[in-house]
Amino acid sequence: MDVTFKIRRRNPDLPDLAKPYWQEFLLKDVDPTDRVLEMLHRIKWEQDGSLSLRRSCAHGVCGSDAMRINGVNRLACKILIRDVGDKVQVEPILGLPVIKDLIVDMEPFFDHYKQVMPFFVNDDPLPADGRERLQTQADREQFDDTTKCILCACCTTSCPSFWANGHYVGPAAIVGAHRFIFDSRDQAGGERLDILSEPNGVWRCRTIFNCTPACPRDIEVTKAIGEVKLAIRKGTNVGIIETSAIH
Amino acid sequence: MTSLVLTVRETLRYRGAIGQWSWVLHRLTGVGVVLFLALHVIDTSWAVFYPDLYVKAIAAYQSPLFTIGEFGLVFAVVYHAFNGMRIVIFDYKPELWRHQGQAAAAVLVLTLLVLAPVFLGMLSHVVDFYMTEAAIASDKMLDVVVFSILEQLPFIAGFVGVLAAAIVLAALYSLIRGEAPARGKYPQASPIERFWWSFMRLSGILILPLVFGHLALMHVVQGVFDITAAQAVAGTMASNGTIGAVPSAVEFVYHRWSYAAGGLFVWRVYDLFLLVLVTIHGFNGLRYVLTDYTSGNDFARRTAVALCTVMAAVLLAVGGASLLVPLERDIVDEAMAATAEIYELRGEELPPELEAFLSNDE
Repeated sequence: MDVTFKIRRRNPDLPDLAKPYWQEFLLKDVDPTDRVLEMLHRIKWEQDGSLSLRRSCAHGVCGSDAMRINGVNRLACKILIRDVGDKVQVEPILGLPVIKDLIVDMEPFFDHYKQVMPFFVNDDPLPADGRERLQTQADREQFDDTTKCILCACCTTSCPSFWANGHYVGPAAIVGAHRFIFDSRDQAGGERLDILSEPNGVWRCRTIFNCTPACPRDIEVTKAIGEVKLAIRKGTNVGIIETSAIH
Repeated sequence: MTSLVLTVRETLRYRGAIGQWSWVLHRLTGVGVVLFLALHVIDTSWAVFYPDLYVKAIAAYQSPLFTIGEFGLVFAVVYHAFNGMRIVIFDYKPELWRHQGQAAAAVLVLTLLVLAPVFLGMLSHVVDFYMTEAAIASDKMLDVVVFSILEQLPFIAGFVGVLAAAIVLAALYSLIRGEAPARGKYPQASPIERFWWSFMRLSGILILPLVFGHLALMHVVQGVFDITAAQAVAGTMASNGTIGAVPSAVEFVYHRWSYAAGGLFVWRVYDLFLLVLVTIHGFNGLRYVLTDYTSGNDFARRTAVALCTVMAAVLLAVGGASLLVPLERDIVDEAMAATAEIYELRGEELPPELEAFLSNDE
């Protein structure tokens, strides 16, 4: 089949192309099971070597090829042509500065992530056997979902609150905080709840629900944000999440 | 502004699901209701402080532009109320999130189901008004519309005044406090936004029955057209025998707010609760909306916060005062000259009682 790609481009090095513009490319002999990322490669390799995009593993694990495909945030490597049809519109994710074509500056996104202390905090001495800190399966299940995040920014850049206000910490950082707030072995949950109770923290979420379907890892993002809100409201991370508890 | 333009444009372009559109409607209806609230509280307080102005305000409400607006207002309140309940449910039970799309659709259906009989009821008041002798003479219609727009000029002037006050306050605040702390550092944890989050949800739940009762009584059982032609005042004992011979909007308010059951001024208490809850809920909501789109500019954001605070304070003060001062029957007489003006504006003959009153007065 023939597929038309319409790509949002900009090249800050060339004055004529510094302003964003749309460019169309026609691809022949496309298989419905081809991935959008492969087709972007074909455009770059066969038609226009200047097309710039970011990708690393190309298998939905590293999270570097987030882009807005046909109006929604997706990983180009996880979307097949049969999912998007023969007219594909690709543009950079919104809310982060565009560096070139489909590449955005992820630093502001990572800055927000760093602010929620996305690392394990526990100053107690190690258990007597010197091995791992144990946890029940039910305790582990509380944050199981939010361990899946790959920091692709699909959720944060689908959020109208983030588009309006780049200072809003955003869904991904809250997911990152959730992963530690609800970890029974971690000791900095209270600090993270304080950080997220800032005016630009979790309260900027207006439960629009754009983030949840945007997640390529099927993380229940809005639910995680809701749980963090409830934990801040109650001042504790205990008793917020009911797990099905596999014993 | 760029933030607002960008968000509006991209919300239209992003293919978000129904939740995104619920949010858009929730914001639009919320802002619409809060703007009307400002008008309504000031207008209604005039019944006590400037009865003649109140008569003119009600005449403006009876003009076609406001009639269309009234249907929009009732839609906005009902949708905002039901969608607010949806938000509350998913905020307190986030694990139910899979049903939020269905819930958003259910909110729309429920809104339409409730609005169908409500709009029929409201429409019957409109039809009654234009079919009876109280109708506006057709050659006077343009005058009435122009009048109803001109009547709003003091509000625009008032708003400009409040905006100027907000800018001054924001400037003073900036002088004292200096620049806001560096962005994206999350330096101070503050319980204040947690309080507002809980307040919006709790007040929303409390407002729902109050505002539905208010709408049912003042827009469906007795519409704005009945206020000047009432044979009785719903929710009070005032009826034919006790209401004055000259139908006047002030008369209606006088009876409503004078009505005491067991020594308690039922409607004053009711209206006071409604005033306080709706004003704070509404202007905090407006603050949410405005600060979302002014976060890039300290001064604009502080002005937005000051604007919401000043407007809420003015409404609480003026509306609260009108509900707390003792009412005298004089206010009805004070409004007679203005009532006569409205008759003339609409090209109607003065009722004999009104003519008698005015000639006695001279």
